[in-house]
Amino acid sequence: MTADKVLKVNRWLAAAAAAFALNHSAQAAVDVFACEPEWAALSKEVGGDKVSVYQATTAMQDPHRIEARPSLISHTRAADLLVCTGADLEVGWLPVLLQTSGNSKVQVGQPGYFMASDFVAKLEVPKAVDRSQGDVHPYGNPHIQLDPRNIALVARALSERLVQIDHSNTAYYQARLKDFEGRWQKALVEWETRAAPLKGMRLVPYHKDSAYLIHWLGMEEVIDVEPKPGIPPSAGYLSELLAKLQAQPADAITRGAYQDPKAVEWLSERTKIPAVTLPYTVGGTPQAKDLFSLFDDTINRLLKVRNPA
Amino acid sequence: MLKAYFMAGAIALALALPAGAQTQSNAELDEIRKQIQELKENYESRIQALEKRLKQESAAKTQGEATETQQSATQVQQSAQAAAAPPPAQQAAPNAFNPALSLILNGSYNNFSVNPANASVTGFLPSPLYGDVLGPRGFSLDESEFTAAASADPYFRGQFTAAFSEGTISVEEAFFQTLGLGHGLSLKGGRFFSSIGYENSIHAHAWDFKDPALVQTVFLGPNFAETGLQLNWIAPTPLFIELGTEIGAGATEPGLGLDTGSNRNGIPSWTAYAHIGDDIGTGGSYRVGLSTLQTSTGNNAIPFGDLDQTTGTTNLFTGNVRLYGLDFVYKWAPDGNPVDRNFKFVAEWWYREYAGNMNFDSTSTLGVGPVTESFTAKQQGWYAQAVYQFVPEWRVGLRYDRLNEGSISTGPTGVAIGATVPNYTPWRAAAMVDWSLSEFSRFRLQLQQDRAQQGVIDNEVFIQYIMSLGSHGAHKF
Repeated sequence: MTADKVLKVNRWLAAAAAAFALNHSAQAAVDVFACEPEWAALSKEVGGDKVSVYQATTAMQDPHRIEARPSLISHTRAADLLVCTGADLEVGWLPVLLQTSGNSKVQVGQPGYFMASDFVAKLEVPKAVDRSQGDVHPYGNPHIQLDPRNIALVARALSERLVQIDHSNTAYYQARLKDFEGRWQKALVEWETRAAPLKGMRLVPYHKDSAYLIHWLGMEEVIDVEPKPGIPPSAGYLSELLAKLQAQPADAITRGAYQDPKAVEWLSERTKIPAVTLPYTVGGTPQAKDLFSLFDDTINRLLKVRNPA
Repeated sequence: MLKAYFMAGAIALALALPAGAQTQSNAELDEIRKQIQELKENYESRIQALEKRLKQESAAKTQGEATETQQSATQVQQSAQAAAAPPPAQQAAPNAFNPALSLILNGSYNNFSVNPANASVTGFLPSPLYGDVLGPRGFSLDESEFTAAASADPYFRGQFTAAFSEGTISVEEAFFQTLGLGHGLSLKGGRFFSSIGYENSIHAHAWDFKDPALVQTVFLGPNFAETGLQLNWIAPTPLFIELGTEIGAGATEPGLGLDTGSNRNGIPSWTAYAHIGDDIGTGGSYRVGLSTLQTSTGNNAIPFGDLDQTTGTTNLFTGNVRLYGLDFVYKWAPDGNPVDRNFKFVAEWWYREYAGNMNFDSTSTLGVGPVTESFTAKQQGWYAQAVYQFVPEWRVGLRYDRLNEGSISTGPTGVAIGATVPNYTPWRAAAMVDWSLSEFSRFRLQLQQDRAQQGVIDNEVFIQYIMSLGSHGAHKF
């Protein structure tokens, strides 16, 4: 064997060892399938490098309306833990993923099935469920992520779930949670102080996805742009809305990145009520890069129209 | 919204009122108000937690071991934050109703330039069914569909779908499916729409056109349901790879004329399929599939009219029927968000082969039979369709359908009584527009030129409604 060849073999061995090490560490991590960006971000916060997170949807997508596409099925198959909102938000697609995946770990009722909304008190739980009210959610409003106190509750529950699934890293998860909670508590105080002027602000959200934000900051929801949840406003309804908003003015019309800007802009132009794009989740605006900046940016954007400089 | 807010708790409301009565003037007042607000929030969450806990006491027993350990863990760690999480709520079932029930109402107004009762597909058999698929003239109550689905226990789920149409109730699907096999495996047992092809496993209410593609109707008619077992496996790869096989009675197969059943022990029918799929960029995704269906009549001959529908004899076929199919589906939406705009393209190709013996003129109607001769038919068909939602609520679609009569080889008696290909290529073209005020209702207008039958040009107009009642169904890709 020439020196050259020896070198080649050594290189090959090193590559194989590296590949093995990589593979090994990949196996050690808990594979998380996060239905929405906020839960992907939270999983990274509390799971650190012990989790490998797949984010199923982006802030540009309406989480009610996701195609159960092949890539989602193969990632559900690989998951140790699903971190989703629940409360029927994903009812149009998650069941297909679960049924097709052949993954017993993440089925309903298993430790790998984590629905964030199970751990918070939900708003707007309807007394009667009837589709004449649009695509209502029988378990209450599922858009829980815009109240940071909910995020804290979910973080704790998620950390506990990670401990349950991956015992050997208990101390790690507990330390991550403690660290996160410390930073979150500090941020919460700061947000509440900064957002004090938003109290009483009157919002016209596109969909019923601001309820928790409004509830947290003591704002008011005047009316939604959608006539009923999940039903886009028609031209006729928009002119009705226009009349209503002229009689009963609001401070801002808000929409998420994935919601139709046309209706919101049309209304804003005619009512002179400023239109605000809110991130709603991580990645919804260029500024909302993680959970912390999500709330920073949401408050900034609302303050901007609250106190026009 | 406000109403629901107040419903959150009478005490919270009472606490909120004095806060609301404050006037906004100076910082001090603001500070006091903020404190009251905090107090309110605090009480509210505590009350809610207490209420929840009360409710949970009774439910707690039924909750699994998992939740128990979790709750104890919660208690251990609760010291840090006094504000406290409400204990985990019971995990949400797929629906508020158990089982999840849904009902599809489906009806239409149909206008045909040629009587559909006589519609057939030249060169393809058995074709009298074709007129049934198109529907009657005028107002028509089409298939209403009832589905109930739920988990049986932690290991199995079940689903039942019955279709009601004028004078008949049929069990479209009634199967159990495993949840706990793991390793990407799931097993279905009972009756289910076979996973071969693309359109085959889609229920009528979810079709993009009023009627299924011609090749689908003629070869698989229009949903081939297997009564037996299905084993499905998803590969542990980031690329979606799905392999599956089904075995069964193959008895509910009107397109193949096997509706009398094979009347024998064993497994007269099996299928296999492979799917590969992935995303393309942020907005697109595709799936390609390869399928086969193999079935045999055993000794139970199936009736087979004659191929150019001129003589009206009865012939009986015994032997093997084999289908091979290729399917492709591509979906796109800007940023992968289909709410405002989305696009869908589907194409399928099927090849069908009959190989066996034909007992010609089995009833001696023509006075030449009965004579048994070898019989082979190799035929194919394909369609391509595209549907585009260009604004919310509105979609337009085009479809082109075509069959290829292929070749038929048989003995001299068969040739003499017309079991030959008639040198005709059936085809159709359809355009549709549909309007959906919500995810749960749809109205559709479809125009179709139908040249399935030699010498007949049928111009068809369909106006259709589809209403989905009950639990929110999840749709496959």
